Amino acid sequence: MTRSVLEAGTPRITRFRDSRLNWTRITTIRIIVQTVMFGLFAAFVGLTTFARLERLPALRHWLSKFLEIDPLVSIATAITTHTVYRGLLWSLIVLIPTLFLGRFFCGWICPYGSLHQFVRWLLWRPGSARSGRAGPPTPEPGNRANRAADAQQAADARESGINGSTQQSTGRSPLSVRHSPLGTGYSSSQRVKYCILAGMLAAALFGTLQIGLLDPLCLLYRSMTGAVLPALELPAPSLFGDARLHQGAWLIGFLLFGLVAANLVYPRFFCRVLCPLGALLGLLSRWAWYRIERDPQTCNACDRCRLHCEGACDPHARLRLAECFVCFNCIEDCPQGALSFRLFPPREHAITGPDTSRRKLIFAGLTGLLFFPFVRTTGRSTRDFSSRVIRPPGAVEELEFLERCIKCDQCIRVCPTNVIQPDWFASGLEGLWSPILNFRIGHCQLHCTACGLVCPTGAIQPISIARKLGLGRFAEQGPVRLGTAHIDPARCLPLSKDVPCVVCEEVCPTSPKAIWGEEVTRIARDGRPLRLRLPHVDIDRCIGCGICEHECPVVGDRRAIYVTAEGESRSRRHPARDRNRSVRAAAADAPRPGLPDAPRAGDR
Amino acid sequence: MTGQRLTRRECLTRGAGAVVGAAVAAAGGYLLYDPQGDAGLPRSPDLAPGLKNYFEAIDFPAAAPRLSLALGDEQRIEQITRAAVCGLDPQRGMRRFIAAGDVVLIKPNAGFDRPPYLGATTHPAVLRAVIRMCREAGAREVLVTDNPIESPAACFSKTGIDRAVAAEGARLVLPAPHRFAMLKTRDHAPDPQGGEALGRWPVLYEPLARATKLIGIAPVKDHNLASASIVLKNWYGLLGGRRNQFHQAIHAVISDLALLISPTLVIADATRVMLQNGPTGGRISDVAPGGKLGRPTVVAAVDPVACDAWCYQNLLGRDPAQLPYLELAARKIRAAVAAGQKRLGQHDWRAYEREGQITSSSL
Repeated sequence: MTRSVLEAGTPRITRFRDSRLNWTRITTIRIIVQTVMFGLFAAFVGLTTFARLERLPALRHWLSKFLEIDPLVSIATAITTHTVYRGLLWSLIVLIPTLFLGRFFCGWICPYGSLHQFVRWLLWRPGSARSGRAGPPTPEPGNRANRAADAQQAADARESGINGSTQQSTGRSPLSVRHSPLGTGYSSSQRVKYCILAGMLAAALFGTLQIGLLDPLCLLYRSMTGAVLPALELPAPSLFGDARLHQGAWLIGFLLFGLVAANLVYPRFFCRVLCPLGALLGLLSRWAWYRIERDPQTCNACDRCRLHCEGACDPHARLRLAECFVCFNCIEDCPQGALSFRLFPPREHAITGPDTSRRKLIFAGLTGLLFFPFVRTTGRSTRDFSSRVIRPPGAVEELEFLERCIKCDQCIRVCPTNVIQPDWFASGLEGLWSPILNFRIGHCQLHCTACGLVCPTGAIQPISIARKLGLGRFAEQGPVRLGTAHIDPARCLPLSKDVPCVVCEEVCPTSPKAIWGEEVTRIARDGRPLRLRLPHVDIDRCIGCGICEHECPVVGDRRAIYVTAEGESRSRRHPARDRNRSVRAAAADAPRPGLPDAPRAGDR
Repeated sequence: MTGQRLTRRECLTRGAGAVVGAAVAAAGGYLLYDPQGDAGLPRSPDLAPGLKNYFEAIDFPAAAPRLSLALGDEQRIEQITRAAVCGLDPQRGMRRFIAAGDVVLIKPNAGFDRPPYLGATTHPAVLRAVIRMCREAGAREVLVTDNPIESPAACFSKTGIDRAVAAEGARLVLPAPHRFAMLKTRDHAPDPQGGEALGRWPVLYEPLARATKLIGIAPVKDHNLASASIVLKNWYGLLGGRRNQFHQAIHAVISDLALLISPTLVIADATRVMLQNGPTGGRISDVAPGGKLGRPTVVAAVDPVACDAWCYQNLLGRDPAQLPYLELAARKIRAAVAAGQKRLGQHDWRAYEREGQITSSSL
């Protein structure tokens, strides 16, 4: 038996690295890059507010940058829309280097990956997850004695001539596959992400974009918007005002918490097992010119390289190229200098493709393919649409919207009134966490198009105020209509309770107002005449901004005036209401229809 | 006894720990004991009835002008504003109202997310002129606040008010929740039959408490329900809570506000008067410079009720007798004056005209 670390009597697996920062080390540079990237990401999220955007309009080119460099976003939207939208071309600055360098994005750029890496560094210790199979004890960072012992051992190893091919067949250190604590070596569960990717891309082929559910940048953005920032704002109303509300925030928050906490048990569980972007980049790194290379002649099989391996890519054996995050920990950890980042290393030293059988991928793809007909034939996105699905101003037609929206929820963050909410199944399974408007929480502010300005994929178009309001050259096209307001005569104060009100008319922002008041005199209960102003909705004028619903003093679970998606102008295949005027004029003798014609019904 | 014997020290420390724990639990239970539940606890402590009288400190001769207007060109809004204020006292101008060391609270109308040219909000140029005059008169600090219907940041930004405030070195006070306090607006329960509506209500109290002087600057607008939104309706923005209930008794509420708030000075910004589709407007055609006067106008007044009446008649071109809140407000203020308060509240502006207490200048 060769000399393993155990034979030395004391546990010797330790960090070869010192805890002190050494500025010349590449891992130090990597940590700095990761910190800067995470800081930039957090700063962009923090700056994504209407007030900042208003003060500094140029920000809109930067706020979505992390989503725009995400190759999964650009490739998946290219599959659904056959185009690469605006800033998504930036994804080439990640995609092209990946072809040469491998998954450097995962180890260096991705803020979600950095979060996982940080939490893993903070909390995870080898063997902490499974007490029965404890690995080596936690190494003391910076322990000089250990380091000295390490050096001694390395010297011993060299002297005793254990290097060479014999070690491959002999007993490994305590980190060998059989005894390794969970998460220090490659696990077959890492195949799952390729199946997720295959399923999502297959679904995208038909036109339903689901990558946003698990894409790390969308996921992190959504978690910041829906859970982290509101949680930070809640205790300090004097600083931030009333905390922003988000439907289903609990799930968004606990999903983030759970995925991050998984690092306690399984280091970088999300990155290794679930991340579809990681899977995509892993596939792209197949032809990488540079990769980690182990020199079997120098390697003494101490397995230290596995201890801090981020991707669990087995640098101690045949490198699994698709799993390697290019974090350089193994190179830093190797006391023998047997590992290097090399140009064109021998092909047979690495496993280039993912470890997934074709059968599994086909099965996953089939699941994705079936997902489309199953969700589409529920009818939620077509004829059986929910009238609650009111999309932000500038949103494209529903089916195109589902091809574009990546559920990153940036629009939700930037909205000044908090009216945009992550959907909770109102638009069906397909639209989970996509933006819809909730007028009980806010209303769509007339002179605001911030949501479209930050949308990275064009699901919400970057329209101008003039176009939103139908001014100038957009006059013929008319204003963007989100829906139509309806009065509930059984709940409305003047209509049913003889109480003066018409707040809806007061706040109605169109000119002339879409809500108009009819002056009537009624006989009150005590016999005295009562002058009342009764509200009416002019469907030709209503743009569905929802301020009437938001301000209505009848605040039950349904206001006395409420907006539904009927009459929304984004429906292209159906004429908008005001263009129907000629039809109505022709039928002038007929009584005026009480409801706007349902726009999406029979649409598709 | 088996095992190790308990030492005396350990016995004492353990015993003491348990006794202290029991004492803390018992004391906590006693202190927090509440036999009534929430109903028995005082909610937020109410402030004493009413607000400071910001008019009290102004020395104002009986014959001095009560209302002053100035007309001019679009490009000279600052001069028009100055002329209007100086019309109330040609010698001292703003120094009659603002003394050195005063903290001035200015309440513009920033209620909607509208650009200034639509006339739904106070023109930033008028605001700038007033801030500058306050500074020249020696004000220590100038605060500007409003509690708009739409998101405050967006409203202050779109109306240009935040930039006006920043440019003149005043301070914008955002209507954050902690700045509100529950105020007893009167010492008795409101009597709806007597045209009273406000009882306890959350008020944007912090800036009001800090200020020693209060100036309201309101655009002159049509209003769908109240018929007009001028300086009295502008006080809505100093209140919080569910203001959308006010509409159920809008004239009673506006006249209550006229009674509750006694400003140092009010200014009606009629640079653009919204003649229709109020209070939001939305089209250029909804507004006219100076309304029926046809030229940008600014009105300064020490009598807010007369100011509304005058603007209603001369700028909106409507009959003040048809505006119920004017008479209600005048009646309530008369009662306050009878009770010893220093207030002005004349709903018949012609009474001032007869006494020569309305001055005008044209630039």
